[in-house]
Amino acid sequence: MSGVVQGGMEFVWAAYGITFGALAIYGVTLITRLREQSSRNTSERSGQ
Amino acid sequence: MHETANNRYPVLPFILIGLGVLCLAFGSYFGLFVAPPERYMGEVQRIMYVHVPTAWNALLAITFAFVCAIVFLFNGNFKWDARLEAGIEVGVLLAFLLCVQGAIWAKPTWGVWWDWDPRLTTTAVLLFAFLGILALRKFVEDPVKRGIWSAVATIIAYVDVPIVYFSVRWWNSLHQLQSSPATVSSQFYIPLRVNAFGILFLMTGFIMLRARLASLRHVNEIAPPPMMAEEAGELA
Repeated sequence: MSGVVQGGMEFVWAAYGITFGALAIYGVTLITRLREQSSRNTSERSGQ
Repeated sequence: MHETANNRYPVLPFILIGLGVLCLAFGSYFGLFVAPPERYMGEVQRIMYVHVPTAWNALLAITFAFVCAIVFLFNGNFKWDARLEAGIEVGVLLAFLLCVQGAIWAKPTWGVWWDWDPRLTTTAVLLFAFLGILALRKFVEDPVKRGIWSAVATIIAYVDVPIVYFSVRWWNSLHQLQSSPATVSSQFYIPLRVNAFGILFLMTGFIMLRARLASLRHVNEIAPPPMMAEEAGELA
């Protein structure tokens, strides 16, 4: 036991992958929701 | 009291998101391939370059929501309610990522994925408190009640933010104390700061877009149904 953590790059890749993956998915869903809401508002406004 | 939102796409949030992606690409490259491994934690310490910026920005997003809650209760402008919703949603996303990154870092260094340590427990309380406020907003249909109730709940839940920050000083904790530039080598704090700005830009862009979405929904909620609008037109 040296008291030094050996290896562990798989944990590093997992942390980065989950973080950037989640941020990318959130960004895409946000833009999709925004587009849908914009077109819904436009269609309801033209319906009036 | 009610502010309308037009359907044009704003440019600034997309510029901020682009800047954020650039900063994160540079900072993560530096953190993963250029910065040296830490003496005791070795390669695993590289998680810090994404974990600490996530923590700072999660608390910042929640603090932004707290400020929006106070302003909304004072002026009743729904622009601030939309910003509150945006701040909480992005804050919850970052707080969730913070807990996941922390668990991934804890396994190789502490030997466990999770421990009911003061810092971890108070962060989990923060995550679930603000997740609850988002759920509350989904269930309340009246925009005025929803705005007031969620603003009050945000102010109450915000009490946990200083507790999260000071928990490592107030109680015995497995989690390390906050570092300062004086205690961190420049090879460590360059990727840390670049990634912190990267997540800050990304978070700001997301909050701006999410607030816009909330404003558009609000406009849709308060718009009279087509029949009523026609009748109002005839009366006018």
